[in-house]
Amino acid sequence: MAWLAIIIAGILEVLGVLNIKRLAMGKRDALLYLIITFGSSLSLLSYAMQTLPMGTVYGIWTGIGTVGSTIMGMVLYGEPKEWKRILFISIILSSAVGLKLIS
Amino acid sequence: MNKYWLYVVLAALFEVYWVAGLKHSEGITEWGLTIIAIVATFILLPVTAKHLPIGTVYAVFAGLGTAGTVIVEITVYGEPFHLLKVILIGTLLIGVIGLKQVSSEPSKSKGVT
Repeated sequence: MAWLAIIIAGILEVLGVLNIKRLAMGKRDALLYLIITFGSSLSLLSYAMQTLPMGTVYGIWTGIGTVGSTIMGMVLYGEPKEWKRILFISIILSSAVGLKLIS
Repeated sequence: MNKYWLYVVLAALFEVYWVAGLKHSEGITEWGLTIIAIVATFILLPVTAKHLPIGTVYAVFAGLGTAGTVIVEITVYGEPFHLLKVILIGTLLIGVIGLKQVSSEPSKSKGVT
């Protein structure tokens, strides 16, 4: 159940990030969705942390959020797909996940 | 430096503050400052997302927030120091600086309506 909670928390996080983008585009309802998605995502995260190590949970959550936001940005908003951009985001991602796993 | 990149860095600094605040706040003042920091983060991020790709914003925000939290845990809260942590913070910063470099070319598809 804890693993399922992390995965759903990650998906909700990506939806939250999309609502940051929608808010930036002037969509007023985005603020409500932003609060709901991040709120429920963080609740699921703390639930998962009751049975699984904090670093593991946080690391996976960050990973899903970063990969998901990057892919959604490319698919929905036509953000750049050059290999250099993907490389540097991958370096940030692997460093951040690594830091969370060992902390 | 482009001011929107500066805002992403600021949002990450606020995040470092409230992550520590959620764990260690005591009393109404500290909780108040923690909540102000959360609100500041979520005001800054949509502003940056208007001018930078959302994938870039979130990767830099989450990455710098993680690195900052690890540094605060070591320097303020006495968590153990590991060489690997320093190396990973270094590679993370290389990623952020590299991403900033490839992003400075002006993008033609703004996608903002």
